[in-house]
Amino acid sequence: MSDAPADPEGAGVSAESAEGEGFFERYTTRAIAAGVTVATVVALLLAGALFPDSLAGTLSDALTSRNTLASALRLSVPIAFAALGGIFAEKSGVINIGLEGLLIISAFSAIYVADLTGGVWLGFAGGVVASTLLAALFAVVTIGFRADQIIAGLAVWLIALGLAPFASQVIYGSPNTPIVATSPSITVPVLADIPFFGALFSASPSVYMLFAAVFGSWYVFERTAFGRWIRASGENPKALDTAGVSVTRVRYAAVLISGVLAGMGGAALSLDLGQFTGNGPTMVNGKGFIAIVAYLFGNYNPVGAFLSTMLFAGLDAVQTVLQLQGIGIPRQLIRVTPFVVVILVLALVGRTRLPEAAGEHYETEE
Amino acid sequence: MSAADRARDALSRLVDASATERILISTAALVLSVLIGAVLVLVAGRMTTCTAGEAVYYFGMGFCYDPVVVFDRLFLGALGDPFSGSWSPNGQFSVTLRETTLLLFTGLSVALAFRAGIFNIGTQGQMVVGALATALGVLWASSLVSGVVGTVVLIPFGLLVGAVFGGLYGAVPGLLKAYADANEVITTIMLNFIATGVALYLVSGVFKDPESAANQTVPLPEFAQFPALLFGARQDFSIVALAFGLLAVAALYYVLEHTAFGYDVRTSGVQPGAAEYGGVDAKRTVVASLTLSGALGGIAGAMYVMMILGTFQTGIPSYGFDGITVSILAGNNPLGVGIAALLFGVLKSGTTVVQFATDVPPQLVGVLRGLIILFVAMPEFFRLMARGLPGTGSRPEAVATDGGTAGDGGGETDE
Repeated sequence: MSDAPADPEGAGVSAESAEGEGFFERYTTRAIAAGVTVATVVALLLAGALFPDSLAGTLSDALTSRNTLASALRLSVPIAFAALGGIFAEKSGVINIGLEGLLIISAFSAIYVADLTGGVWLGFAGGVVASTLLAALFAVVTIGFRADQIIAGLAVWLIALGLAPFASQVIYGSPNTPIVATSPSITVPVLADIPFFGALFSASPSVYMLFAAVFGSWYVFERTAFGRWIRASGENPKALDTAGVSVTRVRYAAVLISGVLAGMGGAALSLDLGQFTGNGPTMVNGKGFIAIVAYLFGNYNPVGAFLSTMLFAGLDAVQTVLQLQGIGIPRQLIRVTPFVVVILVLALVGRTRLPEAAGEHYETEE
Repeated sequence: MSAADRARDALSRLVDASATERILISTAALVLSVLIGAVLVLVAGRMTTCTAGEAVYYFGMGFCYDPVVVFDRLFLGALGDPFSGSWSPNGQFSVTLRETTLLLFTGLSVALAFRAGIFNIGTQGQMVVGALATALGVLWASSLVSGVVGTVVLIPFGLLVGAVFGGLYGAVPGLLKAYADANEVITTIMLNFIATGVALYLVSGVFKDPESAANQTVPLPEFAQFPALLFGARQDFSIVALAFGLLAVAALYYVLEHTAFGYDVRTSGVQPGAAEYGGVDAKRTVVASLTLSGALGGIAGAMYVMMILGTFQTGIPSYGFDGITVSILAGNNPLGVGIAALLFGVLKSGTTVVQFATDVPPQLVGVLRGLIILFVAMPEFFRLMARGLPGTGSRPEAVATDGGTAGDGGGETDE
């Protein structure tokens, strides 16, 4: 299951028992969905090259622009971090639907601490700490007190959704915080001058941290004993227990890691803009939920989750470009496209194979 | 076991707790949330600034916000100060009843889906769709009739339009769940965003009231809105709407407990495998219960338009999310929703009183909402507390339900 699902060739075939015959037997809906996406993009690029003045031309210009890649990377940071966190929690058997809340609380705390101390990195740490604390509360409630994971996750989201604007109102007199300094982007000389892909080498520090986190998560799951424990805790907790490893401890660790990762995403989100905005659904605006779909689509693989995040973020980046260019579709409608795509992806991917014991409380037999 | 089965399992565990225990847990959750809210108010009071004269003093420390005042305003203020001697039904009390009316419908919407083992987080979006459809439908129809006849015809018509469109919007995640196995938690949340976005587009463009600067539809004529009987018109409350709400409570209770459809819904919620073995069409039940759930959400939207605003405006308050709290607090029981809606109506209405009387930000109620859900979700915590604390542990109710751990499904209880 380690192959990247965005690769149309035989991704995760073994993981699912695709019903039907012939074509559908060999490829899962996930692989097909990914293949269709790639094919659409290629077709668009070809059409754009042939008819540069058409809508396809505008779209392919947007797709191949270096700025689009840069903003897709920027937009994917909070989603991908949260998705990585979600993978840790869910692989261990705890469905963390409160990722949205973790992003909200860390986005606000990062700005607050940065404003208080004047240090961007201190703010970043503050965001991570806040998110980890909220994740710890979630862990105690679900693992310690056997609360229903979905309902507790909703509670985490709603608490953060109330608490962050509340705190901002108390401290700053408005649900939006003042603007703090942001960290400059890091540019790798020479490499940054490559067309299109140069955007990979001239990005904010959080983008590089994301690359490190994706690789780190992959490494943990594929190469370490802890990674195997997490998988066992989600797939077969009894076996793990028999092997002498505490399921409870592994799950606590995994949920806390999800808090740390989501915290990095939330902190990066607000510090990138230098401000937290807390009106309505706040600046997080569903990114935590998109993250869940991203890792489901990525089949719980960190690299897969990152690639599917790039798909959503790329879409978001393109829609921003389209809004500016004005292609005749109203702005408000373009803005809902990522949400529509999430639903389409979910409908296409269909039933995802959750870890066997996800959502269940594990009772140690003493 | 699939995720859906597990979700249903978890829900059935919640449903299994006995009614007495449920009431105790809900009460304890509420009290604990208020206590934590009080601490939060104190902490917030330390973080903000005020003059020495405005501060209150507890434990030798000065605080800018006084939790006693906050909760006094929140609860007594919402009831229109019943102990002050100058109580009148036209004051804040009718605002509370107004909020209660809407929460009855959103609470029932969530409760129905939860009973079927479906997490409908999309009541908010279904309400937005219902509200917009009602505002446009009734506006169109109001040119055809007028006067008292208009009121009698248009109000049921508006409710119907809201129910139909909310129901259709609720059917979408139902169909996605039944036929594409798409997780309803995610799809309903996404559909909330889509409803808000598309509504904003429509109301700021095609259907915008040219006379108004706000993004809203053309206001409905007076006769197309709920009449203000008994209570003053200023608070936008109509006893007729509340009566509709109570009727809905009774109707849903009857449907769930005494009809074949209700039986299908309840068994698929508690024992999906057994339900299907017993001949329940699982897919049909999922679509039907989400459609009905969406219809209730849509009616809430229709009420909001025809009772409170008189038009559709973007930025509908989060009655849909409050409905989740109401339903969870009520143990997903329609009769319980009646009580929980009143309680939450007090909280919502009290928020405005708190805003007038103090500087405490109104988002406090949002935090309380989350805390209440969190605590109600962890009955184990309160069982431990009841066992751990001497004196309280010997309460007959607590002991009687003590043996029933969350895991063993002792069948469903007809609360």
